[in-house]
Amino acid sequence: MKELFPLKQVMGFAFSLVLTVVALMVYFTDMSYTMGMTVLLITAFIQAGLQVVVFMHAGETKDKRSIYVNIYYALLIALITIFGTLLVLVWDM
Amino acid sequence: MDFFDRFAVPHPSFLIYAAMVGIGLTMLAVVVGITYFKKWGYLWREWITTVDHKRIGIMYLLTALLMLFRGGVDAIMMRYQLAMPENTFLDSQHYNEVFTTHGVVMILFMAMPFIIFFFNFLVPLQIGARDVAFPRLNALSFWLFFMGMGLFNLSFIIGGSPDAGWTSYFPLAGNEFSTSVGTNYYMIAIQIAGIGTLMTGINFITTILKMRAPGMTLMKMPMFTWSAFIANVIIVFAFPVLTVLLAMGTMDRLFGTNFFTTDNGGMDMLWANLFWVWGHPEVYILILPAFGLYSEIIPTFARRNLYGYKSMVASMVVISILSFVVWAHHFFTMGQGPLTNSIFSITTMAIAIPTGVKIFNWLFTLWKGKIQFTTPMLYSILFIPLFTLGGVTGVMLAMSAADYQYHNTMFLVAHFHNVIIPGVVYAMLAGMTFYWPKIFGFMLNEKLGKWTAWLLTVGFVLAFIPMYITGLDGQARRMYTYSESTGFSLLNMVSFIGAAIMAIAFALLVYNIYYSIRYSPRNIGSDPWDARSLEWSTHTPVPEYNFAITPQVASTQAFWDSKKNGHELFKGDIEKIHMPNNSGLPFIMSCMFFVFGFAMVFSIWPVVIVSLIGILACLVYRSFEQDHGRYISVEEIKETETRLRGAKNEGR
Amino acid sequence: MKVDNSLPLEYSTEENNLKILGFWIFIGAEIMLFATLFTAYFTLENRTGNGPTGAEIFEITPVLIETILLLTSSFTIGLAIHAMRLNRKKAMMGFFTITLILGTAFLGVEIYEFTHYVHVGAGLQTSAFTAALLTTLGTHGLHVTLGLFWGLFILLQIKKRGLTPETANKSFIFSLYWHFLDIIWIFIFSFIYLKGMM
Repeated sequence: MKELFPLKQVMGFAFSLVLTVVALMVYFTDMSYTMGMTVLLITAFIQAGLQVVVFMHAGETKDKRSIYVNIYYALLIALITIFGTLLVLVWDM
Repeated sequence: MDFFDRFAVPHPSFLIYAAMVGIGLTMLAVVVGITYFKKWGYLWREWITTVDHKRIGIMYLLTALLMLFRGGVDAIMMRYQLAMPENTFLDSQHYNEVFTTHGVVMILFMAMPFIIFFFNFLVPLQIGARDVAFPRLNALSFWLFFMGMGLFNLSFIIGGSPDAGWTSYFPLAGNEFSTSVGTNYYMIAIQIAGIGTLMTGINFITTILKMRAPGMTLMKMPMFTWSAFIANVIIVFAFPVLTVLLAMGTMDRLFGTNFFTTDNGGMDMLWANLFWVWGHPEVYILILPAFGLYSEIIPTFARRNLYGYKSMVASMVVISILSFVVWAHHFFTMGQGPLTNSIFSITTMAIAIPTGVKIFNWLFTLWKGKIQFTTPMLYSILFIPLFTLGGVTGVMLAMSAADYQYHNTMFLVAHFHNVIIPGVVYAMLAGMTFYWPKIFGFMLNEKLGKWTAWLLTVGFVLAFIPMYITGLDGQARRMYTYSESTGFSLLNMVSFIGAAIMAIAFALLVYNIYYSIRYSPRNIGSDPWDARSLEWSTHTPVPEYNFAITPQVASTQAFWDSKKNGHELFKGDIEKIHMPNNSGLPFIMSCMFFVFGFAMVFSIWPVVIVSLIGILACLVYRSFEQDHGRYISVEEIKETETRLRGAKNEGR
Repeated sequence: MKVDNSLPLEYSTEENNLKILGFWIFIGAEIMLFATLFTAYFTLENRTGNGPTGAEIFEITPVLIETILLLTSSFTIGLAIHAMRLNRKKAMMGFFTITLILGTAFLGVEIYEFTHYVHVGAGLQTSAFTAALLTTLGTHGLHVTLGLFWGLFILLQIKKRGLTPETANKSFIFSLYWHFLDIIWIFIFSFIYLKGMM
């Protein structure tokens, strides 16, 4: 039975629950907007990274480099699109 | 509205009825012809169900040529309408429809399939692979694209064409101002074609990353493959934006949401913004493979290695990122502040740097080369100065303060035609002429080809340079007429004459194809241009397995090395080859997408639901299907090889 | 077909390797798809017209339940892949089934949530904000729905054909998809709900 629950994944799951609880602090405590967004950004990206590395086994084959470049590229373009659009349509309109 | 009223064209005219009859008769002739010659079985077995990248490529090519004709007719109609002031050839509504479909057809249904034709035909051959990574998906990509194309062209005769410009800006494209189903066609037809293109992107990235011949590291890939790789990367990250955008537009039009409306918080500017988040990378998707083709053609006919391989690759990688950070330059006048405009001005001008690097690399490749002026080379040589002119006016447009003067004028129209025609169209024609013997086993006539190139250039200069002048004088784009007192008439007449000359050039191209089919010699061997990369090392016509033995590569010009420097390409013995089976599923599923799209356009919900179930059923079938492909035996390969080699020896 | 026995089943053939890398690239495209939806949402977030704002309609309880359900399902599909690599077919199918049940439960709560929004006057047509909100959530929900059917078919194939290079490959790719949906949910949870209620 024990071999079906590898420590790495159990720890990963526990850690992701902890991160969720930390993120929930934003709701349950009285935080400034900046503080809250900082907490959310940190917890969300750590969780996403956790999933990719621990659960999705992104780094286990020789295609590791292609996979990571793909994700980083997607992330870069995604962030450019989101913040660029906000700059154009909201912050500087 | 009465149920059947919706299917009528809202603004009929003699021209539209004539086109209806023309399209109807052509379709009838095709069906009767195929039945008469008993070709349905052949068509189904050899083409509709094929998963062979070469055949899929050829189908893309045929679609592209057909759409070049359709978009070209639109162009001539527009130029004729504007040739004289107060012309009444087209009314304003019809003019709106014509410039809208001209843009969509030329970009999405002519230029895109043309470059995807080159991806399909060339990339597996250049990297020494047997097919693409996912052959079945490749067929699905083509058929989805084809059905999207068909649906879009159907708008012309059923329900009315879209008329809000190829950019389809809201609120003009909203229900309030575009009451016909035309814009529904735009949203849904492009959506279906776009999904096909997205899958092409995934397919080719995987192919290039995983299926290269032994020894071919990334930095030893032929330059066209590099450009295809970068273009496909841009496809994968830009097309999802279009998918979401069109879905939101569809919801606004069909389900009454408020994304782009002008009340309840809707924001029409979001459409313009997201459209260009996709739209700007899209132009690089078109131009990079064109650059790739020039990078194949110029070294071949300058008899020199491509100058600056690494800087070519680096500049494309830089372009792939920069292409995503410049989109706001399409709407400098929309009202965002000077900070934003300055940022996007600077990023836009920065793109001129990697592009300039490429121009200089081509020039240095030509430097001291033994240049042969073949037709493909002629196009490439004409491309360099003409494209540079377009690039320079692009930098003018990139200056946001000055753009207030140029915005929405013919100056802009002149600029983007100046980069797209010498950039993309010349490359497509050059590439088509260059690879024609590999595809069809005979060459296009050189004399006619050079006439075409020169006529096209004369026509191009006459058609588009005057627009720079009228644009600066204030002639707005997308206006169906103007008064004589504006003084635009003379230059617009020159433009029309130029457009007519371009039409003659394209007619000459068609004649060239006909002439060459009849008279061109067939014993040209497999390498008629004495070229440099792997695609020329296999037989003509290319056998379905491409290479009997997987080639071994040690440089960027593997085939050249094998010819001149004694590099051994094909080592080892022939082994049995694994090939994918044909499948009718992609075609059937795409037909269901067509029905789905049509039903969505006219909001016929029961049909929408039924076709959606059909699409899902296809997916379920695919999930449970077990298809392990088939093997071509060693004997069969040897037989084919002997036959093809025989044909080649005759030629030598 | 060449089978390399030194590797886990899902990587054992060339075709399998192609499919896994191809799917990663598809995930890259999906990242952009959701990024575009987020772009639209953040732009339209405060443009509520006459409709309610996020803070007025969001409820923490169903959102929290959804989060826990999806996080757990992501964990169990990870365990299913681990069991698959140990060649424990029964355990693998067990974890797989649990994943699908958790996914169904998630979907149930989401449907409740949607009816709640419509009930309090935040329908699809109410405002730009509700359109962006429901489209973003709906796209994620649609992915989960398709995933449930897809997963069910894979499960049936494993039952019928056992753990072969093909079924293992499909399961692994399904797990990638499922983890990815979890990642998207984390961003929805953080930047739509928590940010909206902050």
